[in-house]
Amino acid sequence: MKNNIYLLAFMAASTLGLATSCSSDFLDEKLTTQYSTDHFKTQSGLDELSIGTYQKLKFQFNYTWGIKAFNWGVDEFTDANNSGPDYNNYGETLNSTNTEVNSPIWDNYFSGIESANTMIANIPQYYDKSAANYNTRLGEGYFFRGFYYYRLVQQYGGVPLKLQPSAGVETSFTRASEDACFAQIISDLEQAYNLLPTKQDGTGKVTKWAAAHFLAAVHLARASELYSSWNKDYVSSDLEAVVKYGKEVVTACPICPNYVDLWNYTKANDVNEKVSEVVLAAQFSDDQNTWGRYGNQMHLYYPAVYQDMSGTKRDISGDREFCYARSTNYTMDVFDRVNDSRFWKSFITCYGCNSSSDAPAWDAAAIAAGVCPSGAATNAKRFKGGQVATKYIVNDANDTRYLKYGTAEADVLKDGVLDATHTFVRYFKDEKSSWLDAHGNEGYYGAQKRFVALSKFRDGYRIAIASQFGTRDAIIARSAEDALMVAEAYARQGESHYDDALTYINMLRDRAGYASGEDRAVNVDGGQAYKNNAYCKDKGGGYSADGAIFSSENTYYESNNISATTESTKSAMHLNSVSDVYNSVVDSPIYQALGCTTNAQKMLCFLLDERTRELCGESLRWYDLVRTKTLEARWNAFNDGSVRGVGKFDAAKHYYRPIPQTFLNSITNANGVSLSDDEKQAMQNPGY
Amino acid sequence: MKNPLGNFQRLSFLILSMLFAIGAFAQNKITGIVTDITGEPVIGASVVVRGTTNGSITDLNGNFSILNAPQNATLVVSYIGYETQTIVTNGRHELNVSLAEDKKTLEEVVVVGYGVQKKSDVTGALTRIGQTELNAMPVKDALQAMQGKTAGVDITTNQRPGETGGISIRGVRSLNADQGPLYVVDGMIIQNGGIENLNPQDIESIDVLKDASATAIYGSRGANGVILVTTKHGRNGKAVISYSGSVTVENMYDVTHMMNTGEWIAYARQAKMNQISKTGQNLYGSDTPSYNADKAIWGSIGASWANIEAGWSADHSIWNGDDASTYDWTKYGKQTGVSTEHTLSVAGGTDKIQAYGSFGFLRQESTQPGQLYKRYTAKVSVDATPQNWFKMGANINVAFGDQQYGYNFAKSVTGSGDYYSALKSMLPWTVPYDDNGLYIRNPAAGDVNIINPINELQYTENNRQQLTLNGSFYAELNIGEMWKPLTGLRFRTQFGPEFRYYRDGIAYAADGINGDGNNTASYNTNQTRSWTWDNLVYYDRTIAQNHKINLTLLQSSSDYHYELGDMKAIGTATTDEKWFNLFSAGKLNSFGTGLTEKQLESYMARLNYSYKDKYLLTASVRRDGASQLAEGHKWANFPSLALGWRIDQENFMKGITWIDGLKLRLGYGVTGNAAISPYGTKGAITTLYYNYGNTDSSIGYVASDPSQSSPAKMANSNLGWERTSQYNFGLDYSFLKNRITGSFDIYSTRTNDLLMDMSIPSLTGYTSTYANVGKTKGWGVDFQLNTINIMTKDFHWMTNITYSMDRSEISELANGVTEDLNNGWFVGRQIGIVGYDYVYDGIWKTSEAAEAAKYNRKPGQIKVKDLDGDGKIDATHDRCIRGYLRPKWSGGMTNTFTYKDFELSFFMYARWGFMVRTGALTLDGRYAQRKIDYWVANTNENAEYYAPGSNGEASDTYSSSMNYHDGSFIKMRNISFGYNVPKRYLDKLGIGALKLYVQALNPFMIYHRIKYLDTDLSSYDNNTVTSGSGVSTRSWAFGLNLSF
Repeated sequence: MKNNIYLLAFMAASTLGLATSCSSDFLDEKLTTQYSTDHFKTQSGLDELSIGTYQKLKFQFNYTWGIKAFNWGVDEFTDANNSGPDYNNYGETLNSTNTEVNSPIWDNYFSGIESANTMIANIPQYYDKSAANYNTRLGEGYFFRGFYYYRLVQQYGGVPLKLQPSAGVETSFTRASEDACFAQIISDLEQAYNLLPTKQDGTGKVTKWAAAHFLAAVHLARASELYSSWNKDYVSSDLEAVVKYGKEVVTACPICPNYVDLWNYTKANDVNEKVSEVVLAAQFSDDQNTWGRYGNQMHLYYPAVYQDMSGTKRDISGDREFCYARSTNYTMDVFDRVNDSRFWKSFITCYGCNSSSDAPAWDAAAIAAGVCPSGAATNAKRFKGGQVATKYIVNDANDTRYLKYGTAEADVLKDGVLDATHTFVRYFKDEKSSWLDAHGNEGYYGAQKRFVALSKFRDGYRIAIASQFGTRDAIIARSAEDALMVAEAYARQGESHYDDALTYINMLRDRAGYASGEDRAVNVDGGQAYKNNAYCKDKGGGYSADGAIFSSENTYYESNNISATTESTKSAMHLNSVSDVYNSVVDSPIYQALGCTTNAQKMLCFLLDERTRELCGESLRWYDLVRTKTLEARWNAFNDGSVRGVGKFDAAKHYYRPIPQTFLNSITNANGVSLSDDEKQAMQNPGY
Repeated sequence: MKNPLGNFQRLSFLILSMLFAIGAFAQNKITGIVTDITGEPVIGASVVVRGTTNGSITDLNGNFSILNAPQNATLVVSYIGYETQTIVTNGRHELNVSLAEDKKTLEEVVVVGYGVQKKSDVTGALTRIGQTELNAMPVKDALQAMQGKTAGVDITTNQRPGETGGISIRGVRSLNADQGPLYVVDGMIIQNGGIENLNPQDIESIDVLKDASATAIYGSRGANGVILVTTKHGRNGKAVISYSGSVTVENMYDVTHMMNTGEWIAYARQAKMNQISKTGQNLYGSDTPSYNADKAIWGSIGASWANIEAGWSADHSIWNGDDASTYDWTKYGKQTGVSTEHTLSVAGGTDKIQAYGSFGFLRQESTQPGQLYKRYTAKVSVDATPQNWFKMGANINVAFGDQQYGYNFAKSVTGSGDYYSALKSMLPWTVPYDDNGLYIRNPAAGDVNIINPINELQYTENNRQQLTLNGSFYAELNIGEMWKPLTGLRFRTQFGPEFRYYRDGIAYAADGINGDGNNTASYNTNQTRSWTWDNLVYYDRTIAQNHKINLTLLQSSSDYHYELGDMKAIGTATTDEKWFNLFSAGKLNSFGTGLTEKQLESYMARLNYSYKDKYLLTASVRRDGASQLAEGHKWANFPSLALGWRIDQENFMKGITWIDGLKLRLGYGVTGNAAISPYGTKGAITTLYYNYGNTDSSIGYVASDPSQSSPAKMANSNLGWERTSQYNFGLDYSFLKNRITGSFDIYSTRTNDLLMDMSIPSLTGYTSTYANVGKTKGWGVDFQLNTINIMTKDFHWMTNITYSMDRSEISELANGVTEDLNNGWFVGRQIGIVGYDYVYDGIWKTSEAAEAAKYNRKPGQIKVKDLDGDGKIDATHDRCIRGYLRPKWSGGMTNTFTYKDFELSFFMYARWGFMVRTGALTLDGRYAQRKIDYWVANTNENAEYYAPGSNGEASDTYSSSMNYHDGSFIKMRNISFGYNVPKRYLDKLGIGALKLYVQALNPFMIYHRIKYLDTDLSSYDNNTVTSGSGVSTRSWAFGLNLSF
């Protein structure tokens, strides 16, 4: 019995001991695998916050918003195999509840702004002022805030100006005027301009010239037609600022000698991404471990469908054809395709065969009909791996060479002989020129998957056919645009400055002309990177050892129906006087379609056309047409979304995107309660 | 656990008697047999000579023998559950004793938190599911067995083998925090998932604690109800070998019917004809069916086109859709699923040690190829009582699950979740192989988005394995046995370790849809280690006969540790190596590891008091501290109080003979919920990398990145407990000699300081935060009724009915907000809306063209209600709540007919008045389409659906308004016919019991509102689980239960 009592006492004591010993630090929560926000109160933490904030530069190219909000619903591109009743056609589904494109843009740029706010607030407190990087870090903070606000204003107009980091949940916000937003953006970018160095170690870091480029862009935007109701007092000083900053950038960041230098991508972080002309580019790479959720996804949106043509299969070099954006007739016809090399350096006209086994063969009926080339034997393959399988003939309406043959989609007779390749022709014999109606066998209206596709984002360095992780940098600013901005500022200063404008336009046009001795039949684009891509080894870029979809050929000579030459075309491209602008052969039909009659109208129209020629597809178009208020006319004239009966452009509404409903729903008014329907409507952009 | 004291006594005496028997040689020997009133022997009954310690225990045949007994001995024969008999031998040497059942002690004992209680003493609302109900039909897991059997417990099912459904008890209260109940297995809290890994055959009983006065004992974890599982333990006496096995044959059938070729072509032509340009061109290229137009659009793949061409007359002038041929894709995706299940167990023991052991095997085949689930379970439990003051036990459940997950479309966020659906989504006129038998990748005229999945099973392997171990170990000191003055005092320490290892291996071959050109393999593992350690002090005392006191004190700690490691490689050498040689890819494409830890510390005190067995009181308080809450907010108290009044015990009730039992219960309790992810108060920042022109990345951080799939939330340093208080009023009744029994409960709940994942303006840098904001309230009714409708000697008819309804609504949100549209929360409205959307009001008719134009609409497009009547439709003013996801009520009814040894029962289950998100369609004429009633100008103006193609290739602007349908159904879930082989046949074979049965599972729907879905089931469409399934299953099960 006594033992039992001792035992009991022992048990009781140990229980008590147990109960107390557990309590002291048992419930302490230790987060050992991640930093907390306190990290941003250290110098190294602020260096790393800067790196994290750079990451938002990639956002624009991360997902479908990259195409939908920036290059859809314009004159250059219309929707393709993926239809776009919202952003391309301005239909009812472009509304405030859109969470695919609209609210992510809002959320992500504001998140970048919040990081910048933290940098601006914390660097003076926690960063060693004598450190070499002090001004650079602070300058980056100002650059990011100014730049991300600019992106928001481009989409939504005036937005809430929030300049201090949040310590906790805040819900009381109101929209600032456009005027105030522009003033803040300019002030931030000026701070950045003053603080940032002219050069930083490492490609892709922001410099004084990046700040100057966007100061030029923002001043030009403020001086544009969209803001005419309140910008009168700014216009003349803005235009002077554009000229000042633009010229600085043009001087500091010389343009490349050859347009193709920008696009000659052969592997990740290639030399084409480090050229002097690129002022700022979002940096993507092949470091798979740090990709995160997205890569550069722009390569998904521009391709035309090729894989369903016999003899071809989807491969890495050809890209994964999400096929969102098809080039319009405007985009084909705005180029002088004989003299302007930029067209052939921006678009794909030939696709290689990478599947000989299912390549089409000559059939007996065609041989019997006498349309086959001499030597064509029944059941012999019409082409094989390594040869061109599919080609696009970019011709004009007066071309009499081509006729459709039989029922196969891409069987074409050229001068009475059946083409060995699948051939897509813009205009068959006797078809009339037209901006919007169907012609040729490209499909166009309806079957929207066949078109001359933009090559600027083509990426043969991806790790798998289906990989959305693009490895190419995405250009955000290059000095060629500064030349065009300077030209536009001069043009806006009046006819007396047109000659100055021409000087800057000619910088680009002189480059655009073919150099003497240049091989015009060669195609260079990022698809070629498959040759250096370890994931394409022995596979021709995916399925097949036969060949690759990427082809180093183009249809320059056949499309233009001229014989081979290597003479320079630079003088043909050069504008000798403003009359070359007013009477431009390629621009005149566009002046006509848009009703441009005065010199000033023609000049601005020409500038916008030149922007397409130089910057086509580079995510600038929607806002260019918005700020100049030319979107309505150009969309109606050149984007077939306008005739499809789904959606229509409403000038009272569509120059701005809807304020996201998620934002309106989460904020409170002056009384601290959520907004009433009427208050939400009052904060919403008109028409939404 | 049932009657533990009884088991213990019986066994110890049994062993004693055996010892006596060995050494026995006669002096005055008394022998005899003890039976019950049916004549069955009573094993382990005690037979003692009064006034001595001389006695015996009956053996397996009920026999006893006592040596050295006086001639005129008085024998006391006792056995738990029977009335004690005193017999004077009067010189007799052989006695036959028949014991009568003791109604008082036979009463059911139920498991409550941290102990057991007589059912009559229970003051809280709880229900018990016994073995009979659990084993009524062959089920894969215990949740399935519980469905419809307990009022107040709502359970949904999942079709894929190896996947479990969802469960909620008494509705939902919380907006974001966890809604799942707490599981307690053999007294130990499970931190590691649910009870799906337990073999249902190893479960003795399941008790569900529903009201807060009962669940408050689990404090912070009790808010969503508690499910207490008691597994089988060893029994005293004869070792019993049991086997149960079943074979289930399952077949799939379509509920959603797809268009055949003729119907599809007519529909797709409409879609193209309705896309008309300004110049009058339409996409079809003709205003009437045309051979050339058909061929131009759909003719590029000859083998597929032949099916359409068959609908055209030889001269291509007449179209007859009935002549077009349809290819049956789905035949490749169906199979008869044969599932087998076996459990072998043995239970038995001596006075000091009792043991139970079992192993079970489940092989569940799917109704579609490629999916298979195998589960191996084993259980061992040992309880030992080496001294009368010391008890110790160990119990281990082990389960290994091996799931062939089968095909799912993993390439993007849309796509078929399984092979059958992938096949079903192929256009009816397309074919998988060309005339030479070669695979066609894009059989629908080359449409690149329609990929032939026919070979996918050989290209996809997704294997998930899981090893789970749950243990419970205890030691108990009966201090009262050590020192008399402390009689009734016990100390118990119990430890529950848990371990779970999970591995998901995925291999996609380059030739398949998911691999798409590269062999891809991933190897994802995670493991959870957790434990709970409880120290308990019990004190039971009866004072002055009428006052019964039972005091429980608890100190408890628990710890949870989760770690994971993932890796994925693209370009592995071959998928023959599955995911076991990622090295062959040269490098990994993604990888990651992670760690989550949390701890909980608790103290609890409970007092049960009863006066004269009439007036009952339970009071408890628990204090919990959770690591994942903010400093200064970690601890909270959870009190409860419950009163019971056994009216039937009152004198004034004695005369009322038709009432056998009547008990009123009134309870109040507070429970909590801290089931939010750890580190919510820490402000963890997000890692983002950037590459400055190099392959090598620089590491950077931001507070949060909204472009991630689940962005970091803003830290909330004030995060505290969510608290639910609940009143419960209950009535337990039994009438007419227990012919009618049951219970009725009505309750109301209030939840304060809701833990919400709250959307906040992204201007703060974050899109959401966890916060204690808002309140909800609710009420509900649980009703359970068991009746014996007919009872004759050979024929019984019994009915069990359960019914439950609950209503809950939000009473307050953060910052005085009354409508939170982002989250779908509305003050004064139920939680869980099906959608906040426009209201469908038919299709604009041709005659209404002018009116439609006012709303920017055309005939053939959806008309929605202009709710504010301002002449235009906008998102702010013209949307409203379209219904609720939770049912208005649910219930089950089981009818059982017994005739002699035959038993027939059927079980019906209903969920009523809940909305399902289904029906919004994109009518673009491009993809496979279920049969619908669509609008055709002047031909079908009263159609339900809009004109195909009327919004181009996109769905109608307001198509989501067609998304809300009442999913109510009544289903015949089970019809069972069983035969208990009579004992007289079995005895000869040495068999204890044998039951044979055959069942039809889910034989038919009695009623369902949505004709094209089985809303009892959910379907998985690549990352999203939606309510309702386009296919359903029907099965036959054959089984036997056998014991020796």
